[in-house]
Amino acid sequence: MHRKITYTFPRMGYSYAAFESFFKILGYDVMVPDPSNSKTLKEGVSNSPEGMCFPFKILLGQFAKLLKENPDRYFKIVSLESYGPCRFGYYSPLYNKILKDMGVTNFEVVNVEGIYPPWYKGIPRFVKKLVKLVGWHAPWTGIKAFVIAGWKVYAIEQLERKLYHLIPREKVSGSSEKAFNRAFERIHRAPNRIKSIKKILKEEIEKMDQIDRVENVDIPKVGLVGEAYMLMDYSNNLEIEKKLAYMGIDVDRSLWVTNWTLDRILKTKQHLKHMEEVNKGYLDFFIGGDGQESIMNTILYKKKGFEGVIQVLPFGCLPETVAKQILSNVSEDYDIPVLSLSFDEQTGEAGFVTRLEAFVDMLKSRREIESKESKAKKAESITAH
Amino acid sequence: MKIGIPRGLYFYVYYPLWNGFFTSLGHELVLSMPTNKEILNTGVANAVDDICISVKVYHGHVKYLLDKKDVDYVFVPRIVSEDKYKYTCPKLAAMPDLIKSAFRKDEKKLLSVVMYMNQGRKALHEAFSEVGKKIGENDNGKIKKALKAGIELQNKATQCLRKGHNFLEVVGNMQNLDKLLEKPVKKKRYTVALAGFPYDVYDGYMNGDVIKRLQETNMRVVTTDMLDPKVYKHYTKYMIKDLFWHQANVAAKGGMYYMDSKDIDGVVTISSFNCGISAIYEKLLDLYSKETGKPLMHIVVDEQTGDAGLVTRIEAFLDLIRVKRGDGLVAS
Repeated sequence: MHRKITYTFPRMGYSYAAFESFFKILGYDVMVPDPSNSKTLKEGVSNSPEGMCFPFKILLGQFAKLLKENPDRYFKIVSLESYGPCRFGYYSPLYNKILKDMGVTNFEVVNVEGIYPPWYKGIPRFVKKLVKLVGWHAPWTGIKAFVIAGWKVYAIEQLERKLYHLIPREKVSGSSEKAFNRAFERIHRAPNRIKSIKKILKEEIEKMDQIDRVENVDIPKVGLVGEAYMLMDYSNNLEIEKKLAYMGIDVDRSLWVTNWTLDRILKTKQHLKHMEEVNKGYLDFFIGGDGQESIMNTILYKKKGFEGVIQVLPFGCLPETVAKQILSNVSEDYDIPVLSLSFDEQTGEAGFVTRLEAFVDMLKSRREIESKESKAKKAESITAH
Repeated sequence: MKIGIPRGLYFYVYYPLWNGFFTSLGHELVLSMPTNKEILNTGVANAVDDICISVKVYHGHVKYLLDKKDVDYVFVPRIVSEDKYKYTCPKLAAMPDLIKSAFRKDEKKLLSVVMYMNQGRKALHEAFSEVGKKIGENDNGKIKKALKAGIELQNKATQCLRKGHNFLEVVGNMQNLDKLLEKPVKKKRYTVALAGFPYDVYDGYMNGDVIKRLQETNMRVVTTDMLDPKVYKHYTKYMIKDLFWHQANVAAKGGMYYMDSKDIDGVVTISSFNCGISAIYEKLLDLYSKETGKPLMHIVVDEQTGDAGLVTRIEAFLDLIRVKRGDGLVAS
């Protein structure tokens, strides 16, 4: 039976639009898994090993739903992974084994791994996997797809940053989110030309700038650090950024697809310098995942004048638990409150919101105490003169 | 000088090496007590809440040694790799940092060093000469000699393991390993294989004395670290891709090897709660046991483990094995 080959990939935040267009430019059918709901979560959790990381369970559930709903298609699941201390490196063999054990057969896992030693085996393997991923195309088609996808990722991130900047400042609640949704749809459906993506981005940013807002407000700033997938995927971290923004917090996320790629794969000099400088004495050894980055970004946030940091981690994440223990010392040394939120399938929304609210209240009361202290100091200095 | 060695994690793998090195340099070794309730509780109190129990227990052992006044240094190595392209779990690779952050006051008492066990004698020599410098031993020749003695002892211990003696016996007979090597291994009616990390398998308090309990019920217990890595090389094909972590590889492939071998009656995996890596090899063994039909039991230990439930499960497993062999249930 001839079945249509369809590509699918892990859905992460809003960036799925960019990956979707990557495969479309190459001329393939592509389907994006739906965001997880309680049903997919249940399926994923009951079929994956109990102690496995939460993102694996989420993704397994999403893929299982997609594969079962479309038995007439043959799927190629794209999994970008590495061979490293993080368990992420063993996702694709487990997808393969577990999905087959579940009785789903209409798929094949294409894992594009980074190059890992031994080199003489690593480089040919990487090239082979890359060819398997994009197929036999003229090299420029592949490059074009990469560039367009990159631009789309960039455009979406700019819009998101604008959104989280606007929400705490807007006059009419919800107006900026509405504008963002429209802008995102336009980028999603944008024609595959750099020029038009640029044009749409410019127009939409201008439109968002025109939203009525309260100017010159001094609001507390909170930075988000933690594990990349949980941080970037809004549907699984219970939209933590949006919630904080609606609570009147200027929220900043430390990991984006663009800076993740630049820092990890291309290893920019600035990143390496920060890593060496800041992590000294805390965690000066590579342990995979985002453990070191979490500590680094917390300290950088303090230096930038942020008032609090929230660490988002899936329950039992290996590098992040290490970071969690060390972050308590960082918080003490640098005098910055750090809240660690670990997510798993049991996380309920109500308790989560309460904890966020308590954290925000704490930040606000810290502000008051500080301003009182500074006033008292001023008064003291005046009387001393 | 007195050097404390915590009885946890890689103690159960590289203790002969450390023992040989430090004693031949003329230092005295102080081992922490075998895990007990007090050590477990201090460990749980000092470590972050969602880390695995083995690491928590290790915190307890380190604290026990730090509190002893006559111990000059506590040896907390950072073991990064164990085999070619095989490394250790991130938590273990970050061990000195974790210990440092938990016990900040006693930071100076910690003796830590980065160790690559895969890069041959030269890298090991560099690492150990760093250790030597910290404890005031600058003579290169002496360190070389001490390292040689350590490696010799480690090799002897490995031979004992390959012969079928478990690591606890090795630790007990550290001074006369030759004698242990000559001692024959008793054969029993049933043989059960334990798959898991050495620090979970051998820590009697944590896993409710599984080894002892199985031995009491007329079973011979073999572990995955008794196997020569050459015999289970071919299981990579089944696993699609090698695991990144050496001990997980040993547990997964060793477990599969035991499942395929005829004289093993059943396989028991022992892992600690929230150990991320064992989730992977347990799933692999699960799927493999579906193919081979060998009995498999998972024991997950945490700080709440009660003995009674475990005893029942072990008895049930024994019954399963007996029925499979056609011996019937236990009379009593």
